[in-house]
Amino acid sequence: MISLSDLDTEYAGRKAPLFRLVLGASVLTVLTLGFYRFWMKTRLRRYYWSAIRPGGLSLEYVGRGSEKLLGFLIAVVFLAFYIGIVNLILVFFSFSVLDGPGAAYAMSFVGIIPLVFFARYRARRYILARTRWRGIRMGLEPGAWGYSWRAMMHWTLAILTLGVLWPRATFWLEKYRTDRTWFGDLRLTQGGRWTMLYRPFRHFLVPWIVSLAVVAAALAGGDLRLLLLLVLTVPWTIFGIFHYLVQSFRILAEAKTADGVEFKAAPRTGRIIGIYALGLTLAYSSTTALVAVAGVLLFALFNLSGLPHDLLTEMFSRVTVAGWLMAAASIVAYFAIFIAYGAFYQIFVTMPVIGHYAETLTIGGRARLNKVRQRRRDEFAEADGFAEALDLGAAI
Amino acid sequence: MSRADSQDNPPTLSIFADYFDGVSARVQRVAVSLAGDQTAALEIGPPEGEAFEWPLDRLRALPDQAHKSSLTLGRSDDPLARLVITDPAAIAMLRRRCSTLSARAPVTGLGRLIGWGAGAVASVALIIGVLIPLMANQLAQLLPPEGEKALGDATFEQVRQALGQQGAAALRVCDGPKGAAALKLMQARLTDGLDLPYPLTVRVLQGEPVNAFALPGGYIVFFDGLFAAANSPDEVAAVMAHELGHVVARDPTRIALRSAGSIGVLGLLFGDFAGGGIALLLAERLVQANYTQAAEAAADRFAYDRLRGAGLRPDALAALFKTLKAQNPGAEAGGIVSHFSSHPALGDRIAAAEAASAGLSAARQPALTKAQWRALKGICRE
Repeated sequence: MISLSDLDTEYAGRKAPLFRLVLGASVLTVLTLGFYRFWMKTRLRRYYWSAIRPGGLSLEYVGRGSEKLLGFLIAVVFLAFYIGIVNLILVFFSFSVLDGPGAAYAMSFVGIIPLVFFARYRARRYILARTRWRGIRMGLEPGAWGYSWRAMMHWTLAILTLGVLWPRATFWLEKYRTDRTWFGDLRLTQGGRWTMLYRPFRHFLVPWIVSLAVVAAALAGGDLRLLLLLVLTVPWTIFGIFHYLVQSFRILAEAKTADGVEFKAAPRTGRIIGIYALGLTLAYSSTTALVAVAGVLLFALFNLSGLPHDLLTEMFSRVTVAGWLMAAASIVAYFAIFIAYGAFYQIFVTMPVIGHYAETLTIGGRARLNKVRQRRRDEFAEADGFAEALDLGAAI
Repeated sequence: MSRADSQDNPPTLSIFADYFDGVSARVQRVAVSLAGDQTAALEIGPPEGEAFEWPLDRLRALPDQAHKSSLTLGRSDDPLARLVITDPAAIAMLRRRCSTLSARAPVTGLGRLIGWGAGAVASVALIIGVLIPLMANQLAQLLPPEGEKALGDATFEQVRQALGQQGAAALRVCDGPKGAAALKLMQARLTDGLDLPYPLTVRVLQGEPVNAFALPGGYIVFFDGLFAAANSPDEVAAVMAHELGHVVARDPTRIALRSAGSIGVLGLLFGDFAGGGIALLLAERLVQANYTQAAEAAADRFAYDRLRGAGLRPDALAALFKTLKAQNPGAEAGGIVSHFSSHPALGDRIAAAEAASAGLSAARQPALTKAQWRALKGICRE
């Protein structure tokens, strides 16, 4: 029930300031050979957190770049062994036993999955420990290994059942996380049952099973015209994935409680798909336009004659001023494309998506919230750098 | 109900703001004014309890905030308490009067950071510089021939892709039938009686570099730029014999295994912010194949034996080096990416190759006939 005492969420994210922030931080990241990325992530989080304002009061992100760098350095010390030595051994075995690199990639990938879940949980714990609202810290209890093996079991089961048990994995893993989540001294609880997620899941499950059946029938020597059905079922499956992700968030949010505090969420699948479709189009076209302009400028600058057909060879074989200028300009252009796309993606996709989820969220239970007391600081500084080292959460 | 006056001197301030004490989630509506006697502190009056002061020089505004019409203040000596001011005139006045508002918090734990930084550098150096080469050398001996061949196939494709124009197709493999036949002939002459665990695969890539390199599993790869620069087929044969030396010693297999280990570690370090730039770098390194001096010398000695056995003069290698040196005076300073000319001991190698030919008669059958040599030079144009 929506009542007068419920706290609606405002969203204060704006394109221009965010664009400037991403652009400036990206340039610094390139200039520092990637090391500024820890501060860039910190600043982006500060911006996004402060943009989300439940009850007109901004969230605050208090993480620091230096602690992310520390975590990253610690991770490098240990992961370098794992990645270097294990990769080498895997490549060796894969070539000596199976004559191809495929097995090495596969094993390397499978070997890293438990670590990925482990790192995700820890990253979440770090992020929540650095998130405040109304001056009160959030928190997540330790439990990364427990999460990791549960996640492995749930996802194995989901894959073995061809995706049928995906909602079960979604629910139990979300419950594991939620039941360990705190706002100050207030503990969250994930209510509901895993079967409640099947309502939105139908839009994935039905076209997915039909698609599989059609392909299986065609492979088994059935009528190939059956494959025409895929024209219908594949787009429907893709829609179904979006629908499930958006609506499972809504259902799970509304089934969360914390001693009388409740949540109302109303994100719309169509809106999210629209943001992605429009946002990606805008991000690509803006970047392309920029590349075109830069290309024309470069072309004018070096006026045909200097344009090498093989940049790298040219770079080293012609130690001329023009050659070096050309090489420098090309390297700058190369990074500029990445930076521009990253910035456009943030303002056209990430920002509106977060905005939609924020603006459709309402928190009920004002009186109980006022009684919440502070929790102790969870140091746990190195967690996020570990996730960074595994290249998780690339955006923010 | 709120009023801030920035015109008067001294400035006055009398507004209400939201205060969070960092103990309870309760929003306290507090009265904020400049402390009576001085203007060096904010006086904050909570609805119940006594008023307290926040010195202006300890006020810090939260950075990177999205909500522009409010100012969230903290204290440099209190990580928790927050004061949120929404009155525009008060915000303007505070921004003007507090020069330390955007001062940064000092970096804490710098010692730990430096310690772990040194640890990370040491760990990576140890792994890339010592552990991986050591293991790669051992594993290269253990890799069965079929595995080596498969590794070579994969590496060859990677090199072609990486050295092709950025974003465009891979480098073209030249296979003009007449040129290929000439190459086959040269290969047969050099490998006569040689027992290799896998068949030799000789490939020509279209490209300007005066370069050739060996890959795992018996690959020898030429750029057709080398044919253009060489003065005689004997020089090409000498290069082939040299690369054959690397193949027999399994040098490229070591390098490939080494980069398989290193690539992940480097990717970890730089976070791949350049979108695959690291892969390009490593492919480049693979082609350059910085073998050790000992490996180069061994390959040279192998080449001399092979060349002599095939009735060719080892000093053809010296002739090619000299040509390169003449064309690129700066070559020894590292001005050109060429496996041969970038080698530091180029002068020594010229001398060694000439010494190895001492006493051999000059009148020997050339590596290829004139027609075959022309076909080889045109292998990419057939």
